[in-house]
Amino acid sequence: MNTSYAIRPAVTTSLKYLLLIVGAAIMLTPFAWMILSSMMTSSEILARPLTWFPAHPSFDAYRGLRDAIPLGRMYLNSMFVTTSTTIGILLTSSLAGYGFAKFQFPGRDVLFLIVLATMMIPFFVVLIPIFYMVSKFGWVDSYPGLIVPNIATAFGIFLMRQYMVSLPDEVLDAARVDGASEFEIYWRIVLPLSTPVIGALGILAFVFQWNNFLWPLVVARTDTMWTVPVGLNSLRVYASSAQVINMQMAGATLGIIPLVIVFLALQRYFVRGIALTGIKG
Amino acid sequence: MTTAEQVLVRPGRARAKRRVNRRSLAGYAFVAPALILLVVFALGPFLFTIWVSLHSWNMLTPLTTMPFEGAGNYSYLLNDDALFRETFGNTVYFAVGNVVVSVVLALSIALVLNGPIRLRAFWRAAFFMPYVTAPVAIAIVWRNILDSNWGMLNGLLARVGLPEQPFLDSLNQAMPSLIGVSVWHEVGYYMIIFLAGLQAIPYDLYEAAKLDGASTWRLFWTITLPLLRPTMLFVVVVITLSSLQVFDLPFILTQGGPVNSTNTLVMYMYETAFKFLRMGRATAMAVMLFGVIFTMTMIQLRLLRERE
Repeated sequence: MNTSYAIRPAVTTSLKYLLLIVGAAIMLTPFAWMILSSMMTSSEILARPLTWFPAHPSFDAYRGLRDAIPLGRMYLNSMFVTTSTTIGILLTSSLAGYGFAKFQFPGRDVLFLIVLATMMIPFFVVLIPIFYMVSKFGWVDSYPGLIVPNIATAFGIFLMRQYMVSLPDEVLDAARVDGASEFEIYWRIVLPLSTPVIGALGILAFVFQWNNFLWPLVVARTDTMWTVPVGLNSLRVYASSAQVINMQMAGATLGIIPLVIVFLALQRYFVRGIALTGIKG
Repeated sequence: MTTAEQVLVRPGRARAKRRVNRRSLAGYAFVAPALILLVVFALGPFLFTIWVSLHSWNMLTPLTTMPFEGAGNYSYLLNDDALFRETFGNTVYFAVGNVVVSVVLALSIALVLNGPIRLRAFWRAAFFMPYVTAPVAIAIVWRNILDSNWGMLNGLLARVGLPEQPFLDSLNQAMPSLIGVSVWHEVGYYMIIFLAGLQAIPYDLYEAAKLDGASTWRLFWTITLPLLRPTMLFVVVVITLSSLQVFDLPFILTQGGPVNSTNTLVMYMYETAFKFLRMGRATAMAVMLFGVIFTMTMIQLRLLRERE
C-alpha cells in the first residue's frame, strides 16, 4: 500500500482538531479571563509577566459593584422588561400568524405584504420617531416606554404564519363542529401544536431583548430604570481608570451569566430554533 | 333557477355567507393587535422619519412650526459633512471585513464539524456561546483584553516574545480589532446556519462523485459550494444587514476613536440626534443608510432567485 494514503487522512484529521482546539481556545479564553480577573486585585491584573490565577481569590470587586451601580434594580428591570416583551411578542405573533395562516378575509394578502415590508425596516430608522412618540405618551423613563414599542415584530408574525400554515385544517374544523369558539381553538389547539416554533421564537426574542442596548439607552433616563446593558455602560464611564478593572470584569460576568445558563440549559432548542428561522429566513 | 330551488338553496347560502363573515371577522380580530402595533411603532415612524428628514427640527419645538428644508439635509450630508463620509466609509469597511472573515471562518468550522469528529456538541457549544452574550458586556471584557498598556493580549504577546501592539489606540489597528471582536461574537451563529445547510445536502451525491475518483477539494468546489449557495447568500445578507447597523460594539469598545477611525453611521446618527438635537439631519442619515441596506438586500435576493 502506498504510504501517502495512510498518512494524508492522519494529517487532515490532526489539522481539523488543531483548528477546533485553537478556535475553541480563542472563543473561551475571554470568558475565563473575565471570571479569573474579576477575582483578582487590579495590580494582579496589570502585573507583568502575565499571571492567570488570583493569588487570593476574592469577591471584593463584586461587593464594590454594589456601591457603583444599582445591581439588584438593574437585574429586576432586565428580568421584567425582557420577560414581558418576550411574552408580548409571542402573543401578538402567534395571534397574527394564526390569522394570516388559517383565515380568509378581504385584504389579507395586502396586509401580509405590509408585514413583510415592515420586516425590512431596521430599528435605527424608526428610533427618533418612536422616541418622540414615547415622550408624547409620557413614557420616557418608564416600563411601558421600555416594553410597548417592542412587543410586535414582523419577523415573529412571519415565522409563526409559515409554521401554522401546515397545521391540519381537519383538526380545527372538527373543533368548530364541536362548538369551540375561535379563541378557544387558538388557545387550546393551535398554540399547543405550535410549541416548536413558539420555543424557537421565544428563545431568540429573550436573548435579543436581554441584550438590547440602543433603545434602553435612549429611553431609560434615571438609574431606577436601567437595564443590565445600560448599567454596564455607565459602569464603563464610572470605572474607566485602570484601578477598577476587576469591577468592570465582575460587572460583565454578572451581565453574561444569566444568558450562559439559559444557553447551556436550552442549547438544543437554540440550535433547532436557528436552523428553523435561518433556513426559511 | 326555479323559485322552489331558490327557496331551498337561499337559506343555506345565507347561512354560509354569515359563517364566512364571522370567520372573516375572526381573522381580522386575530391579526389586529400585531398590525396596529406595527403601524404605530414601525410603519408610521418610518414615514415620519422620511418626512422629518426634509425639515429642520430639534424635537422640542412643535412639529407644525418646523421649517421645510427640502433636500437640504441630504445635500449637506453628501457635500459638506466630511464626518458623514468618513463614518459611511468606516461602516462599509466594517461590513466588508465582517462578511469576508465571518463567512470564511464560519464555513470552515461548519465543514470540520459536519465530518466525523469527536466531542461535536462541545465544539459547537464553544463556538456558539459568545453569540448569546450581551455585546455591551463582552465589549467591556474585550476593551480590557485589548488595552494597549495593560491588556491581557499584550501580556500574552510579551510572554511568547512578540512585540506588543497598540490595538484600539491605533488608527490602523482599531477597525481590524473591532472586526475581530465582532467575528468572535457572531461566528458561531453563522456556523450553525452553515451546518444546517450542509446537512441538507444529500450524502449520495458525494458517494457517486467519490466513485468517479473526485478529490475532497473537488467535491467541495463542485458539490458542496454550489449546493450551499442559498445558505451562503442568506448568511451574507444577514451579516451585511447587521454590520451596516453596528452600534453596541464600537460604542463601548472605542466610542468611535481614535480620531473617528471606528465611528459608524448609526453612532453618528445617535450623536446627531440625542447630543446635538439635529433631528432633520439624523433622520436624513437614517433614510440614506436604509436606502443602502434596502438596495443591498434586493440585489442579494435577486442573485439568490436567479439561480434557483
